[in-house]
Amino acid sequence: MNTDAIKELLYKIADDQLIIGHRNSEWTGMGPILEEDIAFSSMAQDKIGQSYALYQLLHDLGEDEPDQVAFMRKANQFKNSQLTELPNGEYDYSLLRHFLFDTAESIRFEFLAQSAYSPLALLAKKIQGELRYHTMHANTWIKQLGNANQESILRLQASLDQLFPFALGIFEPSPFENVLIEEKIFVGEKVIMQKWQEQIAKILNATELLIPSFSEPAIYGGRFGHHTEHLTLLLEEMSEVFRIDPTAEW
Amino acid sequence: MNKSLDPRINRLNIDKYPADLTRKVPLDQFGTYEVFTQSKTEQPYQHEGIVHAPSKEMAFIFAKEQFSRRMTCSGLFVVETKNIFVTATTENNINVYHTVSEKFDTTGHLEQYEFFHLLKRGKQHLHVGSIEARNAQEALALAKPAFSEEDPVLNAWIIKTKDILFSSEEDTIIWNTLPDKKFRNASAYKASDKIKAFKESQKSTL
Repeated sequence: MNTDAIKELLYKIADDQLIIGHRNSEWTGMGPILEEDIAFSSMAQDKIGQSYALYQLLHDLGEDEPDQVAFMRKANQFKNSQLTELPNGEYDYSLLRHFLFDTAESIRFEFLAQSAYSPLALLAKKIQGELRYHTMHANTWIKQLGNANQESILRLQASLDQLFPFALGIFEPSPFENVLIEEKIFVGEKVIMQKWQEQIAKILNATELLIPSFSEPAIYGGRFGHHTEHLTLLLEEMSEVFRIDPTAEW
Repeated sequence: MNKSLDPRINRLNIDKYPADLTRKVPLDQFGTYEVFTQSKTEQPYQHEGIVHAPSKEMAFIFAKEQFSRRMTCSGLFVVETKNIFVTATTENNINVYHTVSEKFDTTGHLEQYEFFHLLKRGKQHLHVGSIEARNAQEALALAKPAFSEEDPVLNAWIIKTKDILFSSEEDTIIWNTLPDKKFRNASAYKASDKIKAFKESQKSTL
């Protein structure tokens, strides 16, 4: 199997999970109600756990230790989509991003459960329950607020319009797209995006929200290390303690 | 009334014509839902606690992380607090079924009701079974013979099965990775050795 292609795939998925996990964890202690604070924090913890498992797979392929990879790389070495690094904004914005991102992520892992690269297939099967809850959580919230009142609907709509081109950027094709598909490691971004569109439409059509055009231009770059200025600031904060003494034991 | 998009303004209830009578505004707060969990498939469901939520579906989403984020879980359900029928709570180990009247109202149509018993103060209500009846009072009277001779039941809850939102069979995978999350349990943090070593090192520096 093409190891470079597998590494590239693992890095982009792991970086997505780590960065959105960190962003979502910024809501801890500040969620809209106690119950949601705990639920959102818990899911952020799941995501960081998933990124750890993926960095461990990379380590097995000869990459550095998970902590080094997570905390010591520079922004331009990260392969996450720009959607995941955007600052949290208000809760409607974070919730909408959670919905757009997790829908894509759960479809991605559904296909990865059949990957010819068996360590990844095993991991995908293991975490399918976590992802099921994450999408259940997102869908329930979106249906609730997307039908509630003028304020909630207008707020969600504004967030949706703003985030949509970034969400389309999740599916930025990789240079290894064809290899991954040929070797049956990964079904490819096009297929994921197709399923994502269907799933997003199914949920949004059950609300008052209007779906932006799927053909609007996507914001690409993240998968190639091009990021917004927000990622550098996020990484500085995330790795602040680790960088003081990378050899410290906990 | 002038509606503002800022809920804090609306809560002040400022009217254009302050002399008019207005209704007292309800608290800006969600209703409550009771949460029951099952730790393993062979175990009975037990009452776990309460969440605030705007709907059954939202209550379920919250309940999962409030009450099943540690140890193991194989099932969960929620029911709106007002849909639970509650008997009196007895004193001195008297079985509450001994106080149940055999007369009951016969209105309503046959539906299934779930029974939960409190056997010890300070413990949780446990699911003990279900019964078909035309209303909760009839269900309680019908259950009387079955539970009169057993261990004293201090308090019983009765819930119409159709008022309950259960986890579906296919969604039970949401608890699959719980056993891996030992870091959420206090028992995973074995600090005593470190504390001992630290105290020793403090002593030697004195």
